[in-house]
Amino acid sequence: MSSASATAVARPARLRRPGSGVRPTSLTPTSSLSLGIAVTWFSLLVLIPLSALVVTAAGGGWDAYARALTNGQTWAAIQLTVGQALLVTGVNVVIGTVIAWVLVRDQFFGKRVLDVVIDIPFALPTIVAGLVLLSLYGVNSPIGLHWANTERAVLLAFAFVTLPFVVRTVQPVLEELDHDVEEAAASLGASRLTTFRRVILPSLVPAIAAGAALSFARAISEYGSLVLLSGNLPFRTEVVSVRVLSFIEGGNTAAAAALASLMLAVALLVIVALDLVQRRVARRG
Amino acid sequence: MSIEISGVTKRFGDFVALEDVNVSLPTGQLTALLGPSGGGKSTLLRIIAGLETPDTGTVAIEGVDATRLPPRKRNVGFVFQHYAVFKHMTVAKNVAFGLEIRKRPKVEVAERVDELLRLVHLSQFAHRLPSQLSGGQRQRMALARALAVEPTVLLLDEPFGALDAKVRKELREWLRHLHDEVPVTTVFVTHDQEEAMEVADEIVVINEGRVEQVGSPDELYDLPANDFVMSFLGEVTTLGGTQVRPHDVDVATAPRAAGAIEGTIARMLRIGFEVRLTVLTVAGEEVSVVLTRTHARGLGLEEGATVWLTPAPGATVVPAMRPLAV
Repeated sequence: MSSASATAVARPARLRRPGSGVRPTSLTPTSSLSLGIAVTWFSLLVLIPLSALVVTAAGGGWDAYARALTNGQTWAAIQLTVGQALLVTGVNVVIGTVIAWVLVRDQFFGKRVLDVVIDIPFALPTIVAGLVLLSLYGVNSPIGLHWANTERAVLLAFAFVTLPFVVRTVQPVLEELDHDVEEAAASLGASRLTTFRRVILPSLVPAIAAGAALSFARAISEYGSLVLLSGNLPFRTEVVSVRVLSFIEGGNTAAAAALASLMLAVALLVIVALDLVQRRVARRG
Repeated sequence: MSIEISGVTKRFGDFVALEDVNVSLPTGQLTALLGPSGGGKSTLLRIIAGLETPDTGTVAIEGVDATRLPPRKRNVGFVFQHYAVFKHMTVAKNVAFGLEIRKRPKVEVAERVDELLRLVHLSQFAHRLPSQLSGGQRQRMALARALAVEPTVLLLDEPFGALDAKVRKELREWLRHLHDEVPVTTVFVTHDQEEAMEVADEIVVINEGRVEQVGSPDELYDLPANDFVMSFLGEVTTLGGTQVRPHDVDVATAPRAAGAIEGTIARMLRIGFEVRLTVLTVAGEEVSVVLTRTHARGLGLEEGATVWLTPAPGATVVPAMRPLAV
């Protein structure tokens, strides 16, 4: 199970090709070599450590596994993290698509600057992002929004670091869309809204799904940007990554591994679900 | 008259795409807008469809002023050069699009789609995606999609321009047959004079934003209004200061006819049944002449021989007034 899950986590949904690797093919010496390098590299970095994680998690037996996960504080952290990550993914799907639309279709002053600035939340070291958020929404908020130590702090941090994903996956697809197609829809009697809903949006769904998957994966793993603002209060603002760290600091490696493997399963589930959505859209008439 | 265009002018920045264009396109006919690239013919078609707005002038479709109507309210079918297919929909769904957004009953839509796919010979491809079709098939699908909504006029913008020569020729004949079967007023844009002459009932020649001439293919070929139309519709050569078609030049080996122009054969090229001569006249003109192999052999022509040239009786002749635009 570990190798399959690792493959799906490491590759964004949109990059997977149907049927790849299904047919036996003979490889040329060059492609044998590159395949060898790829598999070795991937194994060292991802597959082996992930397997080790699952082995550690299973080390204490099912009882220890269940105990670690049913712990009230841990469960609260899981609920908070997954819930807020889903929420922020939903927000990104809408706002990210709107931003991509504006960047591609509209002409306005400062467009090129905005296009560059979009990536800053992604490029910034996460602890710096945390400082930025703290200065605006923290205890000494200049705009009077005291969101420190609340659930909103978590949402805010997630939203901040995941902002570029949907924008950057949708933008190129939107740029490639033929203007002809919209004119064709209009000449067939479609209003602008109908054209968007029936012609443009379906072309964007695979890109939106890929962006959403990236955004969700990044959100559930977030640590640096929220530790300053959220306060890490047990049962209230403590997220999974903070919980994992405190398990490790407390010497409870098995519990940390159990929690980590659960998050791996959640990530896998969401990415597969988004991949299915994307495939259904791609197939649908 | 189905489409009435009066006083239409369109500028893109400094570039004048159309200047005071007045044309009437008759109902039920197949009209070609013919001209060189960048001459404004596509712009005129897009203005009829409502995809561009004219700076001045009006467009009336079937007596209704459509100048300010958005494309979706004009009931016009439009076919694009690069097909503009809805990639994520099957062939049947593409064709059904216009009917579905008009909220027609499902049964009616299915029947109509079936009928149209039969008409364009794509019935067995109904459930394929457009990416699985060839260019010619995609364009036929686009045509069926445009016809589905029973448009008042069907507009085609260089419909065969992206296809290879063989498919082009097939589709051209097929479009002519289709029009005879479904006699909807059709306007298509082309820069290929052969295509226009073969398919159209009427041709509108457009150059540099102006209408040069309107008429049937025969009228245009036999009675060109000016040297532009003459040269655009076929090969021309200059003989004694007038323009004449190379196959309309009579060649004699002795000065029999009065006013015959003397020259020597500078080059002689045979291609199949055809012989092409380049004759240098005493006045310094270079005249192209085309005649059949049999005719050339009968006259005993060879390079360096002296010949006398006259326009053939009944030949189309136009004075060469301005430098050739082609």
